[in-house]
Amino acid sequence: MVGNPDSTARAPFAPWDRRDLPGSFNVAETARRVGNYKWTEMKLFEALGGWIATVPELDIKMRLGAHCYHHAWHADLWHKRLPELREMKPERLTVPANEAMERFIEAMTEPEAAELSIEKLVGVYRVLIPRFIAAYTYHRNNTSEITDAPTIRSINFILQDEFDDWRDGEMMLQSLITRPEHVERAAAHQAKLEAIMVEAGGITGPDSIGGAEPG
Amino acid sequence: MAERLADTRNPVEATPTGRKSSKSRAASNRLTPDRPDASERARGLMHGIMVGEIQALEGAGRTAHDFDAGDGTGDTIPFELKLDMARQAWDEARHVEISAKLGDWMGTELGEFQENTVLFEAACSNDPVLRLAGVNRALEGLAIDVFTQMKEFGDLAGDPFLEFCEDWMLADEVTHVKMGSDWLRKVTENDPGRRKKALEFQQVVDKLFSFGGARGDHDESSFILARRFRELAGFTDDEVDTISELDHEALVERQAAIATAQAAAVPAPA
Repeated sequence: MVGNPDSTARAPFAPWDRRDLPGSFNVAETARRVGNYKWTEMKLFEALGGWIATVPELDIKMRLGAHCYHHAWHADLWHKRLPELREMKPERLTVPANEAMERFIEAMTEPEAAELSIEKLVGVYRVLIPRFIAAYTYHRNNTSEITDAPTIRSINFILQDEFDDWRDGEMMLQSLITRPEHVERAAAHQAKLEAIMVEAGGITGPDSIGGAEPG
Repeated sequence: MAERLADTRNPVEATPTGRKSSKSRAASNRLTPDRPDASERARGLMHGIMVGEIQALEGAGRTAHDFDAGDGTGDTIPFELKLDMARQAWDEARHVEISAKLGDWMGTELGEFQENTVLFEAACSNDPVLRLAGVNRALEGLAIDVFTQMKEFGDLAGDPFLEFCEDWMLADEVTHVKMGSDWLRKVTENDPGRRKKALEFQQVVDKLFSFGGARGDHDESSFILARRFRELAGFTDDEVDTISELDHEALVERQAAIATAQAAAVPAPA
């Protein structure tokens, strides 16, 4: 067909289709990252679910219920993606990126008392979810849009949730932080958690957004 | 024709004790970069893969369309199986894209090699279970073997682009074969006769697409059975052994046919 000026056959890729090969991640590396996503999303929805009963503010209680399901759905998407990446035992890769990440989740879920809504929300919406947005965006922008399109599709849906939930969380925090001591509490807790997160390097470790080595 | 058949450079031996060609003496028929015909064979294989992917795309789309959602009896298939077929259609579409780019990378023009539509025919059975057996298990199983071989070829040839693409397609094929294995068992759970018929059809397709023993566990095989990936995809050891036996049978039949043709082609003594 090529070289025949009378051919009506079309090229396999339209002129506006700029998708290309290869991407930055092979199958094994993608599976590793997806396993880290799943573990962290699970820890997050468990934490949100647990806090619903301990948060006294009704509007926040309801939002946590909705967000709990969002992150459970994300975990489910990643759980289903792992066998497609040749990991038939998804639990094998459902692990934290490193020990610091595990410590971060412990520190983030530490606040229990009813009067600690600010601390609870700061950990989720000012530290963890921004890290999710960063790691997902890095993955989406660096993997192949052809070979890894299913992961990109999931990330796009998930990112929509993450942005919406982050906005909800930030607005809930702004409504709770009304006095100077609230500002100090929020900042102190954020600094404590951020330090552990920096040690972890992000959701998938030091390469969460590419390049950086642990300091 | 007679001259060609009498050519002892034929890559398949006429008999196990017959003369071997320089090609088969080298090692095996396996596609490796050091073969003089490696480039041409790899390009031809990749072109065949692309055409196969187009047919697999059409077949998955048809199965998503052709059967009503139901309990799996009669002309129905479970709703979730329809969803899996739609997902497979997406995967196969990506494989066509990958193959097109790989073909371009390897210097192949679309339409450069002659192809056929046998794969699509296997996807046209009236019984959806036969489609699962013939397409998802037999043909996609073959794809596992071929992609494993091509991935190795890319590695040996120092071609990370080829290796990358084959690795991703291989991951999808394992998923498709597993779909076939899981749904075949589930849909025929209470119908052993239907399952038996489907597995027999799978063996027919497996033998047909062994290409006269070109695929198998033996030295003469162009590409080997990828046992580890087949296991991930839901094949039991016994099932892979059966395929290996079918491959061997196909090889013996091909050797016998070549021997007969060569004998007939030898000129009578003056």
